Amino acid sequence: MHVIAMNAMPRKGDPLSRRSFLNLVGKGSLAGSALISMGVLVRYISFQSEASLPTQYDLGLASDYPLGSRINVQSVPATIIHDSQGYHAISLVCPHLGCVVKVTSDGLSCPCHGSRFLPDGSLRNGPASKPLNVLRVETNADGHLILYTS
Amino acid sequence: MRRGLILASLLLFVAIGFAVLQQYRSLKPVGITPSLTGQVEYCLTCHADLPVISQSHPVETFGCVMCHGGEPIALTADLAHSTLRGGGNPSDLSVVEASCGGEKCHSGTPQDNRDHIQRVTTSLQATYAGAIAQVRYAFGAQPAPTAQMGVYAIDGLAAFDPTSESSPAIQTFGNNCLYCHLSAEPLVGDEYIRWSGCSACHSPAPREDGTLVHQLTTSLVYTQCNKCHNRGNYSLLDVKFHSRQDAPTDRLHDYYQPIAEFTRCEWTLDCADCHTRQEAMGDGHIYNNKKEIQYIRCRTCHGTIDSLPLTYTITDENDLALRLAFLNPKVDLKVGDTILMTDKGELLWNIRVLPGVEGTTPTNELFSKATGQRFTFSPVMGSTCQQKPDQQDARYCHECHATQR
Amino acid sequence: MRPSFYDHLHPPTIPAAQARLRYTLGMGGLAVFLTLVVGFTGILVTFFYVPTPEQAAKSVQELTFLVPFGWLMRNLHFWSAQLLILVAILHLLRVVFTGAYLPPRRLNYLLGLSLLVICLFLDFTGYVLRWDEGVHWALVAGTNLVRSIPLIGGGLYTALVGGSQPGATTLIRFYAWHLFGLMLILMAVGIWHLFRVRRDGGIAVPPPELRSDKERITRTELSRREGLAMVWAMIVLIMLAILVPAPLAPALQEGSVSASENLAPWFFLWVQQLLKLGDPFIFGVLIPLGALLIVALVPYITPQRLSPAELGRWFPHGGRNVQILVAIVAGVIILLTLLALLPLHT
Repeated sequence: MHVIAMNAMPRKGDPLSRRSFLNLVGKGSLAGSALISMGVLVRYISFQSEASLPTQYDLGLASDYPLGSRINVQSVPATIIHDSQGYHAISLVCPHLGCVVKVTSDGLSCPCHGSRFLPDGSLRNGPASKPLNVLRVETNADGHLILYTS
Repeated sequence: MRRGLILASLLLFVAIGFAVLQQYRSLKPVGITPSLTGQVEYCLTCHADLPVISQSHPVETFGCVMCHGGEPIALTADLAHSTLRGGGNPSDLSVVEASCGGEKCHSGTPQDNRDHIQRVTTSLQATYAGAIAQVRYAFGAQPAPTAQMGVYAIDGLAAFDPTSESSPAIQTFGNNCLYCHLSAEPLVGDEYIRWSGCSACHSPAPREDGTLVHQLTTSLVYTQCNKCHNRGNYSLLDVKFHSRQDAPTDRLHDYYQPIAEFTRCEWTLDCADCHTRQEAMGDGHIYNNKKEIQYIRCRTCHGTIDSLPLTYTITDENDLALRLAFLNPKVDLKVGDTILMTDKGELLWNIRVLPGVEGTTPTNELFSKATGQRFTFSPVMGSTCQQKPDQQDARYCHECHATQR
Repeated sequence: MRPSFYDHLHPPTIPAAQARLRYTLGMGGLAVFLTLVVGFTGILVTFFYVPTPEQAAKSVQELTFLVPFGWLMRNLHFWSAQLLILVAILHLLRVVFTGAYLPPRRLNYLLGLSLLVICLFLDFTGYVLRWDEGVHWALVAGTNLVRSIPLIGGGLYTALVGGSQPGATTLIRFYAWHLFGLMLILMAVGIWHLFRVRRDGGIAVPPPELRSDKERITRTELSRREGLAMVWAMIVLIMLAILVPAPLAPALQEGSVSASENLAPWFFLWVQQLLKLGDPFIFGVLIPLGALLIVALVPYITPQRLSPAELGRWFPHGGRNVQILVAIVAGVIILLTLLALLPLHT
């Protein structure tokens, strides 16, 4: 009778019995396995192979972009402007959802949802809420223009 | 929870732990995307400590796979090396076209001086056509010692097959004497050890302790040539190779076999200082023997009693001489320099004519292709040399100028 | 409270005899689990596999060496697939040797046999998707075997290969079969097979009136035992995945020279051995189909000798005929497999 009572349900206040400890170990192992497996799956799916977008583009000789010109470079895509203050670049990627904007007579306009921008890239009307990105352009030692996208 | 399930859950957790450990202990891939291929390769994960093979083959441009083959993304040795060309030596003649070839590389046009593979594969050193012709002629298998067979078939030469020869002497020749052509397995011994293919000359042989040197060079020391040359003699009497028996202790005695006496420049300079690219690598044509392609004479550099050596003045930035001088930087050659030239028009880019006083015979400076050491010398014309103009073979010069050993 | 969908997977109670591991070996349930693992890991592996001849082997290498835990997913997929074939065969042998093919289970027996054949084709199509030198000659020989069938062989070959010889179209078709065609058929036949198990009264045991063991277990208890088996199976799969990697070889090159010996995938070694004897159609198609036919006819060979009272145990006396027959077929296939591993020329 006494022996059976020893293995009865643990009461409140009892120190952790062997049975409860083993239970904990068992459930803990299963929970731990599940958690780690989630982690493994996340790492697996997040893998990106080497090829990613370049962060700089060689636009060619600076002399190909004379003073007063606005030249579109479709491979970036961006517009290169050469004015009295130097070389500038405006990204042609619409900040709303990423479509490439078209150059119109009075600015730039996005064919997907109708956002419009002024020639300097600032926002005229939405649904975009930000202007077109300004990208950095520098001249390198060989006289080439280098465009940086980051 | 029952005991069995508790144990199993614990073991499952441990097993997953092993899997995570396996992942984080695995090799971190070190990738490189060579500009000529645009495909990422991970050879450097294990081979990062290899020195760059030569200044003309930087790894950022070529990578490893372009020359060596192999699996670019594999990270286990067996898989990565399973498709290597030529094992560790992609310049072996059986795979050289795939490894070193290409119009802009080493199987281009003669006009561009890019026809190395075509020249080497038809050369005597690669085909062994001369030796084969002489032996077959000596034992009556062919009526004249003209090149008819090589160790492989190429350009009109048939493949030499000892087993289909009727003369036992020629069969023995096939078994005993084919150790010194560019595709041959060398004889055992440190004095013979070398690579095959282009690397037989252009890469240092494996070291005595067995380690390998990852290098391509145009700066060739005489010991490189002496892996095959000056090692002994073939005897037609017993159809065997007899290695040299002397034990030389200095360069004078080591350089050549004790078969003759040679002039000082013949053992002070290295072979490549005199013997030209066409002599060593062939000129694309099949020749019958060594003598037909060896045309360098003492007079090529020294001239004769009544003529100066031929010269050539560099006028073009893209001149071959400047390119060669760039590949083996021992002399600061410039446009406007005058260098010596052979009678076939080969440029001796390491021998420059010094600007001299008007009216006197010019002196020349030679820079050793192996060490860069500078030597100056004067031409024969205007000296007290007692040569006869029609006696220009080396043996005539040796009569006075040979060094006693 | 009405039982949920999960509760419907098992009856409220089953005879304890049906769940005895010594009787069933648990092979059927294990096969279901392995199918789930192979399917799940298959989806994961599809994220990185590219089904073009130029990219296939490369994408498998990328998965193995570059993707975190890519090696794990691929190896789990490989091992669960190979073990599935093995477990399915053991399940088949268990069914035969315990007489569990008697009516009303005859249809289910044939469904199960079809599942084995579908799994073999899934394994072969998956094998070919590697598109590396290790599979080159199995692909050539296997597709040419199809061509050897009289009358329909040519048309069947073109349907399978999509051209006059294996190439890009073949790869895409094998991809479609492996991911989709065979998978859909497997799902349909598999669910039907599992349904029939329930409908035929669960795992074969003597009917209640002839049963000596009256004990029953609840569905909760059954689920616990299944859960335990799944955990053990997962442990074995993970350890295999870590310790024995799936095969990898350099990409398949058109016009490459074969090695001195090319071995078929392990489950077709017995067919390769047969093919060493002569004509491809007779030895590669007819005889294997004959073996399949013999196994398929098991429920129809002297079934009257076996009475339901003998069910529930191994090697019942009444089933002696088919047991000997199947043992011979199995023995011959095992022998042929072992012979195939010996060197070709001494």
